[in-house]
Amino acid sequence: MKFALPETLADAVALLAEDGARCLAGGQSLVAMMNARLVSPSTLVSLRAIPGLDRIEIRADGSLFIGAMAQHADVARLAPRSPATALFAQAAGLIGHPAIRNQGTIGGSIAHADPSADYPGVVVCAGATVHIAGRSGNRTVSAADFFRGYYETALQPGEIVTAVEAPAGPRGGSAHYEKYSLVDGDFAVVSAAVMLAMTNGRCTAIQLAVGGGAAVPVRVLAAEAALVGTALAEADLAAAGRKLVEAADPIDDFRGSAAYRRKLIPRIAARAVAAAKQKLLNGHA
Amino acid sequence: MAMRETLEYELTVNGEAIPVRARAEATLLEVLRTECGLTGSKRGCDQGVCGACTVQLDGRPVRGCLTLAANVGMRRVTTVEGISTGGALHPVQQALLETGAVQCGFCAPGFVVTLDAMLRENPHPTEVEVRHGLSGNLCRCSGYVKIVEAALRAAGAKP
Repeated sequence: MKFALPETLADAVALLAEDGARCLAGGQSLVAMMNARLVSPSTLVSLRAIPGLDRIEIRADGSLFIGAMAQHADVARLAPRSPATALFAQAAGLIGHPAIRNQGTIGGSIAHADPSADYPGVVVCAGATVHIAGRSGNRTVSAADFFRGYYETALQPGEIVTAVEAPAGPRGGSAHYEKYSLVDGDFAVVSAAVMLAMTNGRCTAIQLAVGGGAAVPVRVLAAEAALVGTALAEADLAAAGRKLVEAADPIDDFRGSAAYRRKLIPRIAARAVAAAKQKLLNGHA
Repeated sequence: MAMRETLEYELTVNGEAIPVRARAEATLLEVLRTECGLTGSKRGCDQGVCGACTVQLDGRPVRGCLTLAANVGMRRVTTVEGISTGGALHPVQQALLETGAVQCGFCAPGFVVTLDAMLRENPHPTEVEVRHGLSGNLCRCSGYVKIVEAALRAAGAKP
């Protein structure tokens, strides 16, 4: 294996043209896979020395721009200035363990596209945009179109995720990330990310995505539309939960059976909504 | 079989510049143990799960097994061997000893390195904060009670 430490994005893209070359971001999945002999890149192109790739910006309107190399620990420290900032910060703080959060990056996490990981559901819930650089220039893809399957994304060979950009989320709203895992720091069995707003006890906007329920995050716009105007009461959430389960296609693995995940999806989604609702009552984002 | 590249570079470990010659895919843990002769950091799972390989990069705990040595660059590496100064035990080491928190000892270096960083960032953690802070370090002997007790003792809290 060869190792390269380019100092510009253009150089990194050029190096990735080689067959079998891979990007190294935080390495928290890739190096583990290399140690297990699951992958053996011909060249590893580290993105660490490219200036500005770890930039995090919260704009005045509460929208977010997170560079691909931003570490989970840094995202977890973001002030909850909008539903989106609150959602990203909470989820980032629940990824793995402290030592993992000090190296793992948002770009690496979404490019790896483990369906049980925390960020994929969050970026889909937030309606985020993924910024991509490649040989034929820069492009953007919506988070909903970015995830294509198990460990499969819209990235073409040689392309690099450079940033994630997310709108602020519902005005005056709140957010919650609910993670159900077997032990602290593990991947989720099922997770749910939500941002919502309410006026006079009625939901005025809601975005809800489930992780671990299929090869890609599950978001059902019809379920969200049906929740708008309701009080987000138990029966309303049960109806939404049924729509999410219909759209889900979970697998059996050592963390739980598909049937177990189907039972969890509506419950974890309902917990996420209830927690976000409670945050609104308490006056938090 | 792909070509294997051997790299030569320098690592700053426990304040000392150490010349390294290693394969490009060598992890920091591997290089510390085989090139630098620092065997305090342990290789448990090689998957980032157990925490026995925890070292600090610029003072922040990271997994030695999930860090490529060639990617460390100028960042300062601190291992358990560099945690204490002047031959005295670090307060965390002293507390682990006093509470009887070390049994087989395999996980202890990772706990020491993690706790040192945790207490610098949060000098007076609650028990819950200690448990979250140690969530990435596995111990198969102790059941954690004494390790948590040691962490609180090192922080100066009433055990």
